Amino acid sequence: MTDIARQRAERLAAQPLITLASGPGGFFRGTINDLRELWKRRELQGILVRRELKNRYKDSALGFLWTLIKPITMLLVYYFALGQILGASRNTPEYAIFVFAGLTIWGLYADILTSSTMSILQNAALIKKVYMPREVFPLASVGSALLNFCIQFGVLLVAMIVFGQVPVNWDSLYIIPAVLVVAIFGTALALVLSALNVYLRDVQYLVDVMVVLLFWASPVVYAFRSVAGSDAAGVGTWLYQLYLLNPITIAVVAFQRGTWLHGHGVETSLAKSHIPLSHNYPADLDLRLIIAIVVGLVFLWFAHRLFTRLQGNFAQEI
Amino acid sequence: MAAKIPVLKDAPLVIRMAGLSKRFVIRKEKSLKERIVNFGRSNKHKDDFLALHDLNLEIHAGQTVGLIGHNGSGKSTLLKVIGGIIRPTTGVIQRRGQIAALLELGAGFHPDLTGRENIFMNGSILGLTRKQLAGKFDEIVEFSGIGEFIETQVKFYSSGMYVRLAFAIAVSVDPDILLVDEVLAVGDEAFQQKCMNKIRQFQQEGCTIVLVSHSAEQIREMCDRVIVLDHGNVIFDGNTENGLSALSTSFEE
Ligand SMILES: Nc1ncnc2c1ncn2[C@@H]1O[C@H](COP(=O)(O)OP(=O)(O)OP(=O)(O)O)[C@@H](O)[C@H]1O
Ligand SMILES: [Mg+2]
Repeated sequence: MTDIARQRAERLAAQPLITLASGPGGFFRGTINDLRELWKRRELQGILVRRELKNRYKDSALGFLWTLIKPITMLLVYYFALGQILGASRNTPEYAIFVFAGLTIWGLYADILTSSTMSILQNAALIKKVYMPREVFPLASVGSALLNFCIQFGVLLVAMIVFGQVPVNWDSLYIIPAVLVVAIFGTALALVLSALNVYLRDVQYLVDVMVVLLFWASPVVYAFRSVAGSDAAGVGTWLYQLYLLNPITIAVVAFQRGTWLHGHGVETSLAKSHIPLSHNYPADLDLRLIIAIVVGLVFLWFAHRLFTRLQGNFAQEI
Repeated sequence: MAAKIPVLKDAPLVIRMAGLSKRFVIRKEKSLKERIVNFGRSNKHKDDFLALHDLNLEIHAGQTVGLIGHNGSGKSTLLKVIGGIIRPTTGVIQRRGQIAALLELGAGFHPDLTGRENIFMNGSILGLTRKQLAGKFDEIVEFSGIGEFIETQVKFYSSGMYVRLAFAIAVSVDPDILLVDEVLAVGDEAFQQKCMNKIRQFQQEGCTIVLVSHSAEQIREMCDRVIVLDHGNVIFDGNTENGLSALSTSFEE
């Protein structure tokens, strides 16, 4: 018997026996523990995010450049085709900036939902062979979506300067809660959807359809004021209230407020329109943002509890 | 019979199971349509399968346990439960120390990543930091004998190369518990020999090994204890020779 063996035995004897989870997994057990475990795995998380980004453009010659090419092309299309040729810019000044801002924040949301839903299934090979907290996979999807968002946001900033807007004023602060709302709800949904998709493969198709539908439920390509000023869904109607219940709508509007300076009512061209300027943004945007963040955090907690409950059977179901 | 390394007196317990069972529920439908069509009758569309039945086992530090049994007897399932990959339905399982597992083929690599990237990913899953891994990298590549293929995507590896890399990573973390499920059979003779030597070194160093194998010779050579599973039940637990004959009598029945 070697010394190493004796040392190992002593070291092991000093450690407590760890009981592995059994049964379907409790709902209220150990959020703190899970978070600590996840924090310990942050390096793995970084590796997974990098892998996901790489995977997106794998085997392509231009690779990461595609992340830039796509949004720039989009920006140009919206500027020329929609703005100049189809004339959307007559109702909405700086239409290109407006729509690009909306698409940037919406794109973050859509990106999180579609990529995270598949994340557990795509990592089946790993999940079946090694133990690790399975949250890392949907979280890596969220992380890579956030990085892509940052790149697109950079393009947006450049575009704002090119189009002659100074990109900093007090309203710029709205960008922060806007991104927070999308990130919180996106992460919560990422956990729920990725776990459900293991048991029911239809979820991934359902998500695709929902993303298309939800796109029109937020003022991404049309201006918020055209909703607020309309007869059917204008201020005061129940449809308007329903419309504002969608946290992503709140986030999109706040993001536009932070990046699209022409929406602030100073522009004379807007004043000519029959819709009052106060309809550019919902009246209680700040309060709604705070509520969205608080509700989002509660939802995130529930989503994580659901995830830990479902993850016990991942390895045998995929 | 090769001389066995004596197990340390009063060696600490490293794996303990009590009343451990695993029931698989096999649902026949996976899609929404089928679920809706079969709604209400869905219990009839479930198949229950008891893969492990009321296991009570204790494994002490430094033991090398051979886990044998017919196909489908639950060996791989048991290793996955020990590894924490599958959650038992009822019962308790306790464990201590760093664990590394080589479970069937595949080893948990990502096919699109190169060998190098997989080393870093797998190592960090096993709990090593980037710095520790960078230090061990050469050693891992050296042991695997993969050479320049380390920069090739893993999907282009042969199954032997897969196992070589997986084994090299698993042993690099200096595990206290090593789970090996049949994988070694894929390696060529030279590599099998290398693995056996490594496993012997681990035995010397007091590492606990649970080995699943269909090769009686391998079991005889490596193990100081054998557990025979039969349809999820332990039908024998004891010394190697008796275990192997218990297995062959169970085949004859
Ligand atoms: N994910 C799963 N879902 C349903 N049943 C499963 C699952 N995994 C294993 N089983 C069942 O559990 C039983 C035990 O399987 P296991 O893989 O543990 O057998 P084994 O002893 O490793 O066999 P072999 O010698 O062929 O490797 C089998 O009947 C198998 O069908
Ligand atoms: Mg097996």
